[in-house]
Amino acid sequence: MAGLNLRGDTSGSVEIVSPAVAGDNTITLPNDNGSANQFFKNSTTAGIVTHSSMIEDASGNIGIGTTTPTETLHVVGDARVTGILTVGTASVTLNGNDGTISGINTVNSVSFPSAGALSNRNIIINGAMRVAQRNTSATSVTTEGYITCDRFYFNVNALGTWTVTQESDGPDGFSKSFKLDCTTTDTSPVTSDACLIIYRVEGHDVQQLKYGTSSAEQSVLSFYVKSNKTGNASVAIKQPDNSNRLYSAQYTINATNTWERKTIIIPADTSGVINDDTGNGLQIEWPLNSGSDYTGGSHGGWKAADNTSRNASNLGLGGSTDDYYQITGVQLEVGSQATPFEQRSFGDELLKCQRYYQKSYDYPTSPGAANHEENSMMAIATGSTRLTAFVQYRVEMRNDPTEVIYGTSGNSGKYAARNSYTDVGDASVPNNHAASTGFHQVNVTSATTGDHYQFHYTADAEL
Amino acid sequence: MEQLNYKLCPEQNKTVIRLNDYASIPMNELNRDYQEYLEWVAEGNTPEPADS
Repeated sequence: MAGLNLRGDTSGSVEIVSPAVAGDNTITLPNDNGSANQFFKNSTTAGIVTHSSMIEDASGNIGIGTTTPTETLHVVGDARVTGILTVGTASVTLNGNDGTISGINTVNSVSFPSAGALSNRNIIINGAMRVAQRNTSATSVTTEGYITCDRFYFNVNALGTWTVTQESDGPDGFSKSFKLDCTTTDTSPVTSDACLIIYRVEGHDVQQLKYGTSSAEQSVLSFYVKSNKTGNASVAIKQPDNSNRLYSAQYTINATNTWERKTIIIPADTSGVINDDTGNGLQIEWPLNSGSDYTGGSHGGWKAADNTSRNASNLGLGGSTDDYYQITGVQLEVGSQATPFEQRSFGDELLKCQRYYQKSYDYPTSPGAANHEENSMMAIATGSTRLTAFVQYRVEMRNDPTEVIYGTSGNSGKYAARNSYTDVGDASVPNNHAASTGFHQVNVTSATTGDHYQFHYTADAEL
Repeated sequence: MEQLNYKLCPEQNKTVIRLNDYASIPMNELNRDYQEYLEWVAEGNTPEPADS
């Protein structure tokens, strides 16, 4: 038989019309082995495709290298996409041009951030509240300070009395949390009354946010919270380097006495440059309650300093002695994807904390405890009012710290003669003999040249 | 709130003593305790002089 050509005109199409009867409409293709250009390659039995390089079955599945495709596109063998392959409604993309994959959240249950580094992605130090060098509990707290969990500051101003603890309680995977427990109420806080938790990030540690540039990065803050109170609450982010530019957002505590994870997306800020220095680069606040100075504003994008927006959604804690607030698992990372909390070793976390606060006592011993057996410092009097010691800090501190010298009986501002362990005199560290790396002189009231003395110390370079 | 009190050290020591806990505060404006001391002075308070 001569060859059969089906050819349309320049503007039309070539059609093969099925017969106007019900039944098996088939196209019988040549029964030789065909060529590489063939779309179908059939068997010797007319009307039945038993082997094909590409086939669409009755359900619309396309098979390549298979006659029984089980998915919309089923390829048996290797495949190559030289451009961009987009997968799923979440737009996971595999870009063959530049070798990037984006939109991935987890691989084999390992979570990936949407930007930034895989390790050390949590900018927050001691987010799991495991390190508490100063103390693990303090009662009758009415003034602000770093009290228990390192790096987390409790700011209370005329708003109740609180017990502050490093609590042995947390959501799955967390053994500790930071707890504020109201013991004396303030049912009607006014104007500047406030209580809030503050975390201050050193400027060096937030340069990856690229604030103040056109390529500024989004970031995400996540944390676990538990309270007896439900309702809306606020988180505020301030930029001290930029006249306290502010971003605040609302989160909601949905259930009482239940750990819940909250996620706050922090938009990129192309306006405010954060100095690459040891100062307070970014301040994160969790208001628990406040007077009118800090409420009445609104949440939203970055804006100029606005105190009334810092606690626009007031949780109102402290009106009852039942009130408490616990927080742990605090993580700040670049990107828009809150990944699971990055658990670091206790040793790593302790060293990071010691850039801001450290002590000569063993970790479990609170400063001011009577103690002469642990790593108390030894000094020799090199003058009647001068002890010479060589104190090298465990890690270099953020800047020149405030030092407190303790006698071995536990009194601050004192020192002790070796082996007598009796605290005497006044002791201070002159800053012209001290630095962020340590100190080598203690000024004292009275000493006998050549005698040995002992003391403990704390060094505080917190933000 | 606890009332703060301070005492100066000899000038060459570049240090202020916070008498409440006898903390040695470096005269360094990056130190938050020194910032607090400067605010205390700005409020009209005067530290005790250094020992002569």
